[in-house]
Amino acid sequence: MSAFRVHGKGRVNHGRKVGFRFDGTPFEGLEGDTVASALLAHGVHLMGRSFKYHRPRGPVTAGSEEPNALIETRRGIDRSEGRVEPNTRATMAELREGLEAVSQNRWPSLGFDVGAVNDGFHKLLPAGFYYKTFMWPKSFWDKVYEPFIRAAAGLGRSPDAPDPDSYASRYLHTDVLVVGGGPAGLAAARAAAEAGLRVTLVDESSEIGGSLLSEPDVVIDGTPAWDWLAGEVAALAALGVKLMPRTTAIGYYHQNMIGLVERVTDHLAEPDPALPRERLWRVRARQVVLAQGALEKPLIFDGNDRPGVMLAGSAQTYLNRYGVRVGQTAVVVTSHDSAWSAAFDLAAVGTSIAAIVDTRAELREDLLGRAHALGIEVLRGHTVTGTAGRLRVSAITVNPVQSGAVGAGRNIACDCVLMSGGWTPTLHLFSHTQGKLEWDEEGKTFLPFETREDCQIAGAGRGLWGIEAALADGSAMGARAAEALGARVLARSHAVERDRTGSGVAKKELPTLKDLTSTRAFVDFQNDVTAKDLRLAVREGMRSIEHVKRYTTNGMATDQGKMSNINGLIIAADALGKPAPQVGLTTFRPPYTPTSFGALCGYHRGDHFDLTRKTPIDPWAEAQGAVFEPVGQWRRARYFPKPGEDMDTAVARECLTTRSAVGMFDASTLGKIEIVGPDAAAFLERMYTNPWSKLAPDRCRYGLLLGEDGFIRDDGVIARLAQDRFHVTTTTGGAARVLAMMEDYLQTEWPHLKVWLTSVTEQWATIALNGPKARALLEPFVEGLDLTPEAFPHMANGTCTVAGFPARLWRVSFTGELGFEINVPARHGRELWEILWQAGQAHGVCAYGTETMHVLRAEKGYIIVGQDTDGTVTPQDAGLGWAIGKAKPDFVGKRSLSRPDMLVESRKQLVGLLTEDHSKLEEGAQIVLDPSQPIPMKMVGHVTSSYHSQALGRPIALALVEGGFGRMGDLVHVPMEDRTLAARITGTVFLDPAGDRLKM
Amino acid sequence: MTVVPHELVAGVLSETPDLSVSLMPLRGRFSLRLMPEGTDPAGEVLGFRLPTRIGARQAAGSREVVCLGPDEWLVVCDDADRAVIEQGVATLAASVPHALVDLSDRELTVMVSGSRATELLTLGWPRDPQSVAVGTARRTVFDGVTVVIWRDGETQWRLDVWRSFAPHVLDLLLTGCRELAAG
Repeated sequence: MSAFRVHGKGRVNHGRKVGFRFDGTPFEGLEGDTVASALLAHGVHLMGRSFKYHRPRGPVTAGSEEPNALIETRRGIDRSEGRVEPNTRATMAELREGLEAVSQNRWPSLGFDVGAVNDGFHKLLPAGFYYKTFMWPKSFWDKVYEPFIRAAAGLGRSPDAPDPDSYASRYLHTDVLVVGGGPAGLAAARAAAEAGLRVTLVDESSEIGGSLLSEPDVVIDGTPAWDWLAGEVAALAALGVKLMPRTTAIGYYHQNMIGLVERVTDHLAEPDPALPRERLWRVRARQVVLAQGALEKPLIFDGNDRPGVMLAGSAQTYLNRYGVRVGQTAVVVTSHDSAWSAAFDLAAVGTSIAAIVDTRAELREDLLGRAHALGIEVLRGHTVTGTAGRLRVSAITVNPVQSGAVGAGRNIACDCVLMSGGWTPTLHLFSHTQGKLEWDEEGKTFLPFETREDCQIAGAGRGLWGIEAALADGSAMGARAAEALGARVLARSHAVERDRTGSGVAKKELPTLKDLTSTRAFVDFQNDVTAKDLRLAVREGMRSIEHVKRYTTNGMATDQGKMSNINGLIIAADALGKPAPQVGLTTFRPPYTPTSFGALCGYHRGDHFDLTRKTPIDPWAEAQGAVFEPVGQWRRARYFPKPGEDMDTAVARECLTTRSAVGMFDASTLGKIEIVGPDAAAFLERMYTNPWSKLAPDRCRYGLLLGEDGFIRDDGVIARLAQDRFHVTTTTGGAARVLAMMEDYLQTEWPHLKVWLTSVTEQWATIALNGPKARALLEPFVEGLDLTPEAFPHMANGTCTVAGFPARLWRVSFTGELGFEINVPARHGRELWEILWQAGQAHGVCAYGTETMHVLRAEKGYIIVGQDTDGTVTPQDAGLGWAIGKAKPDFVGKRSLSRPDMLVESRKQLVGLLTEDHSKLEEGAQIVLDPSQPIPMKMVGHVTSSYHSQALGRPIALALVEGGFGRMGDLVHVPMEDRTLAARITGTVFLDPAGDRLKM
Repeated sequence: MTVVPHELVAGVLSETPDLSVSLMPLRGRFSLRLMPEGTDPAGEVLGFRLPTRIGARQAAGSREVVCLGPDEWLVVCDDADRAVIEQGVATLAASVPHALVDLSDRELTVMVSGSRATELLTLGWPRDPQSVAVGTARRTVFDGVTVVIWRDGETQWRLDVWRSFAPHVLDLLLTGCRELAAG
């Protein structure tokens, strides 16, 4: 039996021991313990070192607001590096067999830490230390200051292996979401559920119950608290309430969207590997009841951070929920009645209460009477001026205060100090809604006032105190939420006996005899911010609480100032001589508590990270060993290397084969839009630059799409299938954008047009055959269409069957060779590809990928939108003026094309570039006219496309050059890192300018 | 990791007593677009009244239709029925401006059924399943992907998914099957 465990007490299972290790030492705890409660049961308070001063620290709370007891845990059976989690709150980490916990921020050991030398220099490390110190000399920043700050920054060690666990996410819709499973939340859930609504109740703890878990002696409606709780939880379950323990509401977003993180397996010794570790719930609630309760505030006095000093309410929780006495001899220091009950509870189980030190002079008679009966010394109107002890508090100095004067001190030996500075409503989620707060002068705290969300606040979260009040308010707020949803229910009230209500006063730092600069009275325990730091910030000119916060880092640690914000505000307001509400409160932001990246990523990691679209022919390419590249959401075969080939040799072979025999290309990713209706041609006339009304129903035409600004947005071949039906192709990456743009115009500008747009990208698999032998390969498989050049010339389209599959067959080319594009229903794509591949062997066929496609089209000067254009290129700039229907009254972008700056001759224009020394240019390289001008040189353009051309036996490039059309034959220069290349400006068509190869 | 059949062959992909996910055989599928005044004549040709409330469905024999937008319907039919529908609707050309586009190969259909089917859908579906009545359908989003979700019964659902989106959607559904089976 551990020395500080109280037999039979608490909700832990005294019959089930759980073994774990802390810093390598084996310990035994009980089922139901947290790491903190299990260590406290062994008298271990020292659990970590503080962030800045490396001061020894122990748990100061028993909940998720814990700033001190942050440990590294290794989870899972293997406890591998990827399952390391730094900064786990020992007060929340549920004990499980084999858990490995390690303290942080200490070297070589927790007991003896070299970094604690910082503590001795605390006067040299004041608030704003970094701002003041790391200013000069400027040259020190990169090499000295930044590395130093980075090394010193951050608490805990990030794991450097991937997390092997899985994470999940769900959506949940509920009528009423109740956040917080204490008395107010339970009552609210009950009321809403009895109104017949869908209700969800979440609580971050391992058990529903909230403060009731720490108050077993309370009697509700004649039933002991824990029996009442069990009955109530069962009743809620029977009413269909979704009960979610171990679930933290991390953020409250727009329109009642609440993020929840459920911890699924961390508490299990051997979790099922199919279970996710955590699950993110995106909840859309019609009404939310926030019943988050209140957090106890520490008192601010010199040495209030020593291990053994903790919040009185937390000590009560350790005792009543976990059956652990936090010490042998306690001194209670308080400005609130609630700490007295902690003293009485501990006294009842044998902890000696050396004194109750209350800052107030006037005290309640019943409390004094009870203390007297228990033989506890009461020191009223006293302050604390210091504590002693190295790794654990050993004594406390208390002094009387009379008329503001601090009297002589008296040391009281103790091994724990239980403090209470009163309670602060938990405002975080309310604050996420951008809700307004109001200052409660009596309670010296902010209370929720109004919010635009459909949200009720119940219980201690709006400053109510006591279980009876919380139950009544919870029920009323649950009923109010139900009423807002049109349901009717009567709020209940409960008779509560032994309810320990109370009141107190809020304090700035406690008065002391000492010189303030030598005191270490902590306000923010996690960021090591003292009262002195806050006052210094004000002295140095910080006026707004936002500035004070950033200068001192008060409230900026992972606990987001749950314990420190109000105390910090009271001290800053005092230093400024202003009322607290005029100084204001800093904003709370999501998440409420630190949240794992895994939970935020959910399923979207590894293969499921993002959508990867594949064509029906993709499996064939994969089997052939194709190398892929992403194009938009698609993955496309880039080239098909044979054994021993690198990209250049593979592409050279593919180019040569296609130009000399025949190449096969999977063009299925091209966007396809079927435009149908009596006004289809009229619609295309307005969208594209080209004329469409006279295009015959068996022909194709290249279409150019501009934005309203006159710049090229997309292009593609468009086939007219019938008078009222067009098959439009778009670029692979532009498909969705083009369809959306067309729908936008159709719905907002021309809703009267009788035409409809349908995406058919995935209806069709598209196989492109290019090369002089393309017809010879294809012809034997085609039925219903005469493929002779006379009957089916370049830019013809027809319907037929290919190898028995229904097909839309086009004679088009993006290579400059004789070319066909065969569109077949997607289900047949792979089969047709393999049939053609087999038959193609006799013709020396090759499969080619996007890289070869790029080279072949560049040899012909065909642009790729987005590569040779960048959103500032007009059709004229790209040499595509011929694609504009001159007689058309209008099309998208037409008016912009006649703006004066669109017509100047010095616009950047697309030209060809041939290097003088036959070296290949870098795509993106900048172009200058005079290479000997001083740096920075005037850049006149850049290289957009550059390849080695197998057909020409030399590299070719396309470039956008200022006034390029007027510079034909000129030399320009491309400065590279090691040399400057000279290149001559040419036209963009490098191969077969007459287009004879197309006409075969 | 999940092995999603690359070839997307119809069949059962996961089955437990309370949850089953299968890929359905291809069916005929058309997008039908027309102005409100065309609904009656088009309905006569198709053999049912075209529903005009978005999400509402009608069926006649093996044909069914869902209204996806104020001028948009999705018609599903047997493969052999496709030509009949095309020819029938074509007779409206002169009188009813419309667009009929064959989408039989654009999408695949996944069936999700069993007592935990609705729960499975909440992994990727932001909508409230209870807001979709049995016998209706919705064009919506699942795990970031556009889908049409049909509710055929209290615990029986169909998802129409674009062909190249299907592996992504199936991957999440099968991950979910394992997750649900574990607890």
